[in-house]
Amino acid sequence: MIDTPIGEFARRIELPHGVDCARLLDRLRKSPNVADVVITETHACVHLVTADPKPFVWPPLPLGRGVTGGGREHRISIRYDGEDLAEIAEHTSLSKDEVIAIHQEGIYEVRWLGFLPGFAYLGDLDPRLQLGRRKTPRNRVPKGAVGVASRFTGIYPHASPGGWHLVGTTSESVFDVATGARFALGDRIRFVAS
Amino acid sequence: MIEIESVQGNATIQDGGRAGHMHEGVPTGGALVLEHLACANVLLGNPPLSAAIEVSGRIEFRARGSALHVATSTGQFVSMHEGETFSFRSQHRADYVAIGGGIDVPSVLGGKGTFLHGEFGGYLGRGLLRGDRLPIGNVQGRSTKRLALVQTDSIRIVIGPDAARFREDAIQTLAQNDFAISRALDRVGTRLLGSPLLRTNGDGDTGTSMPMVLGAIQVTASGEAIVLGPDHPTTGGYPLIATVARVDIGRFHLKKPGDVVRFRWVELEEAVRSYHEHRAYFFD
Repeated sequence: MIDTPIGEFARRIELPHGVDCARLLDRLRKSPNVADVVITETHACVHLVTADPKPFVWPPLPLGRGVTGGGREHRISIRYDGEDLAEIAEHTSLSKDEVIAIHQEGIYEVRWLGFLPGFAYLGDLDPRLQLGRRKTPRNRVPKGAVGVASRFTGIYPHASPGGWHLVGTTSESVFDVATGARFALGDRIRFVAS
Repeated sequence: MIEIESVQGNATIQDGGRAGHMHEGVPTGGALVLEHLACANVLLGNPPLSAAIEVSGRIEFRARGSALHVATSTGQFVSMHEGETFSFRSQHRADYVAIGGGIDVPSVLGGKGTFLHGEFGGYLGRGLLRGDRLPIGNVQGRSTKRLALVQTDSIRIVIGPDAARFREDAIQTLAQNDFAISRALDRVGTRLLGSPLLRTNGDGDTGTSMPMVLGAIQVTASGEAIVLGPDHPTTGGYPLIATVARVDIGRFHLKKPGDVVRFRWVELEEAVRSYHEHRAYFFD
């Protein structure tokens, strides 16, 4: 496996299709000289404990994504009161009710975690709701806001600047310092209107 | 214990960082200038990466409850009796005030540093304010040392994983032109002022999120360079043209807005070798 260094302390590989990312994360975290692992949809990256000019020895990549059926199911209560619902309806030529119904129908998979502690990119969003990011990002998106952008939906774990279109709010926590991130690779999420 | 009397600018508790949680989106954090954190700590016989106060600006505090020793990354060493005050103004972008025994705030996710965006760690997840009382620990004493971080003319950089997405003259621009530190800086990243670093024709912003690293130089669509700091988001969409060699990321973070930065390309192997000696000197 040929990797690309990102400086002296990290190595990155491009993932082939069909990799079981949850199992890969587990394998990499247990590998020697690994302090941290970050896996996105397309790449896996190990952060090394000690800088080493020798190549990193990658474990065999587990295949069978979506087949092994691991991961947990989550039902997240949501109030569909997002500031951008009207705008989303306009840009997608749907009614607000249709936007809400389509978003709520989805069974979303955790594609990766990044951007903020506990922020999970949930995919794939129904193509009818897929938009780019907002032209003007907000300086402050409140904690618990549920947004959509591109193929994803996601929940802001705490107040943050953000460029996603807001569809609703949840009062459920997705990150806390005692237990870490609520969602993990391979988990599936459904939204339930309250 | 110390009680904060006043803060101008920023003061947060920082240490060596919290590794092991990037897969959950938690950056490793750690002091902007780990070497200066170590300088202050080892003057007191603290372990080099013990929690201390990272100051950009001015801070004043009072000793409460018992006598204590204070050391700074600018070389000061002071003994304080109960009730006495100490005031300190940073000379660099960030300087450190350490207390003998270490600052004993609770560890969160394996570290005592402050992650401002997530509002956790350090003292209540925020910058220090007048009235805050910080407990002091009883970290095992070691022999004291006086260390120094020697300044250099250029900051070493290693070719980045996305360098092929840039025009050849962008690679040259990075090493042949002066850049300057902009006012847009924080623990997440430092924006640079200088010639734009342009991508090859047809390279669009794919926006695919990729793993990010401390010291990585990411480049926006308009060619602006941002050097990622200790609180960088674990993933991001901008291509990485280079990374600051770990041996020089502390030196880079000493620079203040308006200061000139000159970069120099080095091979990965040289960067690794330089870092090993550097690490042994400051952190062992």
